[in-house]
Amino acid sequence: MASRTLAVWEHRKVVGLLVRRDLKVKYQQSVLGYAWTMLEPLAMTMVYFFVFGVILNANRGMPTEEYGGFLLFLVAGILPWTTFGQILGEAPRAMITHAKLITTMKVPREIFPTATVGTKFIEYLLTWPILLVFVVVLGGRPSVMGVFVWLPLAVVLTFAFGLGLTLFLSSVNVLLRDVERLTRIVTRLLFYGSAILFPASMVLESDQVPGWAMTLYQLNPLLGIFQMHRAVWFAGFEELTPTTLALSSSVVGSILMLIIGYWTFRRLEMSVLKEL
Amino acid sequence: MAQTTYGAEVTTGPVIEAKGLGVKFAVNRRRKRSLREMFIHGTKRDPNAEGDEFWPLRDVSFEVGRGDCVGIVGKNGTGKSTLLKLIAGVLMPDEGDVQVRGKVAPLLELRAGFNDNLTGRENVYLVGSLHGMSEELIDERFEEIIDFAEIKSKFVDTPVRHYSSGMKVRLGFALISQLEHPIMLVDEVLAVGDKAFKRKCYEAIDRMLANHRTMVLVSHSERDLRRFCNRGLYIKGGGLALDTDIESALAAYDEDTKAEIAERKKRDAAKKKRAEEAQQKADEAARENEGDGDGGQAA
Repeated sequence: MASRTLAVWEHRKVVGLLVRRDLKVKYQQSVLGYAWTMLEPLAMTMVYFFVFGVILNANRGMPTEEYGGFLLFLVAGILPWTTFGQILGEAPRAMITHAKLITTMKVPREIFPTATVGTKFIEYLLTWPILLVFVVVLGGRPSVMGVFVWLPLAVVLTFAFGLGLTLFLSSVNVLLRDVERLTRIVTRLLFYGSAILFPASMVLESDQVPGWAMTLYQLNPLLGIFQMHRAVWFAGFEELTPTTLALSSSVVGSILMLIIGYWTFRRLEMSVLKEL
Repeated sequence: MAQTTYGAEVTTGPVIEAKGLGVKFAVNRRRKRSLREMFIHGTKRDPNAEGDEFWPLRDVSFEVGRGDCVGIVGKNGTGKSTLLKLIAGVLMPDEGDVQVRGKVAPLLELRAGFNDNLTGRENVYLVGSLHGMSEELIDERFEEIIDFAEIKSKFVDTPVRHYSSGMKVRLGFALISQLEHPIMLVDEVLAVGDKAFKRKCYEAIDRMLANHRTMVLVSHSERDLRRFCNRGLYIKGGGLALDTDIESALAAYDEDTKAEIAERKKRDAAKKKRAEEAQQKADEAARENEGDGDGGQAA
């Protein structure tokens, strides 16, 4: 495994080229380029804000205005989720779209999923200006703990999990094309299962949810990851930090996903090359 | 363990060394099951599924020395392109191994890597870099590439999706032929382009060969094969039938083709004869019927 990782590192230039190509193609096709990619998550944020916050009044247990309010809560969760959702959306096709290159160029095949995730990482960085505008305008309070622990941990885990998932889905999807459709459904479920629209405490402190369901809920690695993404901006509002169980399942889950993804990818590589 | 190994470039000894190469494809339904098998049974073979396997290539061993130009001949579907892919390292063998010493320039699919939304210039830089050319080198050769590909300067900064297929292929060849890798794999790409461009391609390949580079060529054009190759591999039914000079390989291929045509003609003749006989019988029967009938219609 170490030698293959090294081989990918040696080909980092190729990864860089593929990332640059994808960004170039994406942003030069429309004049608004960057604005378009930001418009979608922001539009969704507004919809959720009005439906859940204003109409259904479902913002119980959420940070109040002095902390930045429901709106900041939503933005801080939806922006990283959009990136993650896009990774999930493109992961199944990460190998198929590069079929021509893969069948003519001798490079470690891992670089194609890696490039897909790399592109999304750059796009994630591009969401930061928007996020910071919301933080400043709505008065978010970044904590020291949040900036130096939660934020780096959240980013590393998001992309480790994303890379593992991409390695897994991209190789399996070549052999079983149904995976693509299945992924779309699972993505929607994960969106609600990862507490993007409401604080996780709403579920964990509810009387109607049985204990086993709560444990299961916290075993979702994404729950902890996105709680961390948000906890950064709400100093003094401890309800938003992940529980010990959620935190450990994010760390262990991400590492496990990376290992499973890589193992599957290597295992299926021979058959994938024949099918492409 | 089956593998493709890429070593450093050497000055002595064979450049490409294949030992007992074999590739297995699963046929039809087994493809779906193979996924489950891989997770549950590991690489163990399912004895019941043996009949569903198909070996496009098996037990192929050969060596290619530095500066050789090897032509691979054989019928369609006998595994010529598969063999080339194994040498290129884009397919992994199920059996045996192939060692390639030095970098490979694959002239397999000339449009590979071109992105339709990028311009000709951007694509040259992208694909050139993907194949390991430095930016300075591409800067230096850019004019030459465009010139060779006969792309008019007004199209250089046009997205490749507006190019004709001929333009794309020409640009691909112009670019890949600039690679200075010691091994070249060529699969039928000489069949593209118009006459004038073809001649330029021939000259480019001649130059490369004069430069002591090694080439493996898959082609159905006897003229191309005779022109470039000093050795021939004749692939027949997934195995290596002959490893000699190109003339003998072509002769053997020719003979087998003739035998096959003769065989088919014989079969056709037999079929025709049977059909004729059947027709005759039917006619006779009809005539008899007519004779036996009440003759009401005959009058």
